Amino acid sequence: MQDAVLMSPVAFAHALKKPVSGDVNGMQTALSFADADVEATRSKTLSICDVSNLNRFGVKGPQAADWLKAAGIKLPETTNSWTSQENGSLVMRLGNTEFLLEDKPENQLAKTLSDTAVEQSGVHKVLRNDAAFIVSGELTPALFSEVCAIDLDNGSLEDNRLVMTVIAGVSATLLKQTLNGQSVYRIWCDGTFGPYLWKALLGIIEEQGGGPVGFNFYYNA
Amino acid sequence: MKLLQCPINGIRPLSEFTYGGEYRDMPDPDTCTDKEWAAYVHYRNGAPGLKKEWWYHGPSGTWFIAERDTMTDKVSRTYIAGQEEKQ
Repeated sequence: MQDAVLMSPVAFAHALKKPVSGDVNGMQTALSFADADVEATRSKTLSICDVSNLNRFGVKGPQAADWLKAAGIKLPETTNSWTSQENGSLVMRLGNTEFLLEDKPENQLAKTLSDTAVEQSGVHKVLRNDAAFIVSGELTPALFSEVCAIDLDNGSLEDNRLVMTVIAGVSATLLKQTLNGQSVYRIWCDGTFGPYLWKALLGIIEEQGGGPVGFNFYYNA
Repeated sequence: MKLLQCPINGIRPLSEFTYGGEYRDMPDPDTCTDKEWAAYVHYRNGAPGLKKEWWYHGPSGTWFIAERDTMTDKVSRTYIAGQEEKQ
C-alpha cells in the first residue's frame, strides 16, 4: 500500500481518542474508534464520522453546468439541492453556477474530473479542502437544535434540498441522505475549521451518550 | 433573534450576514470630474432613511442588495443585484 501523504484536517483532534488509522485515498484517516457493535450502538444514538478523505471536485462559472452535462453527469435542477449519480457519487448545486461533486471510496468520478484539463472559458475549477462529517442517530435533532442557526425540524432538508448555514459558528453545507439504509446528515466545512467543529459536535454528542465512529463503519476502505 | 431574507437561501439569522456598505452608482471615471470622483470615493451619506445596501450571506457566499430604512432598521426587500425585477 502506498504511504499516506496527507492527514485528515481533523486528524489531530482524533488523536485523543486513539483510533485505528489507515490510508484512504492517500489520506490518513480514523478507520475505527471502538468495536463494531459499540460503533453500531453509537450510530443509532448519536455519532460523528470523519469522511474528509473522499474525492471531491468543485467547479463554478457560467458554463460549468453545460461542461458537467457534456461529461455525462446528471445535475440537480435547482440551486441548493443535490442528486446522486448511478455510481453513488453526490452532485451538489451550491448556486446557480457552482457545483460540488463527491465520490464514494470505490468510484473515481470526482478524481477524473479533477484530473481533466479545462480549456473552456466560463468554467473554473474550485480547490476544495473540506472537512467532511457524517452525523447520524435518533438524537440528531437535539444536536442541531443546540448548534445550528436554523430549524431543521421543518422539513428544510427533505426532497434532496441542501442548506448552507452556520453550525457552531462555522459556515457549513448540510444535507440529509440515506447511507447503507440509514438516514444520516452530511456536513462540509472549510478544513481549517474542521478540528474545532469536530470537537464542538463531539462534546455535545458524548454528553448525549453517543460517540465517534470510524470511516469503516460506513465504507469498506 | 434578528432575521434577514437572503434571496437565494431564504430567511436566516442576522449572524449569518455581513454588511457591505451602501449601494451607490459609480460615476464613469473616464468622463466625470475629479470633484465628482473624490466625492464618490470619500463621501458617505449618514442621514437616516431608506437606503440600498450590499449584504453578504457568509455560508453560501451570496452578495445581494437589501433595501433598508436605517431609521427604523426595517428591511423592505432583498434581491440579487441586477435581478431586481425577478424578486
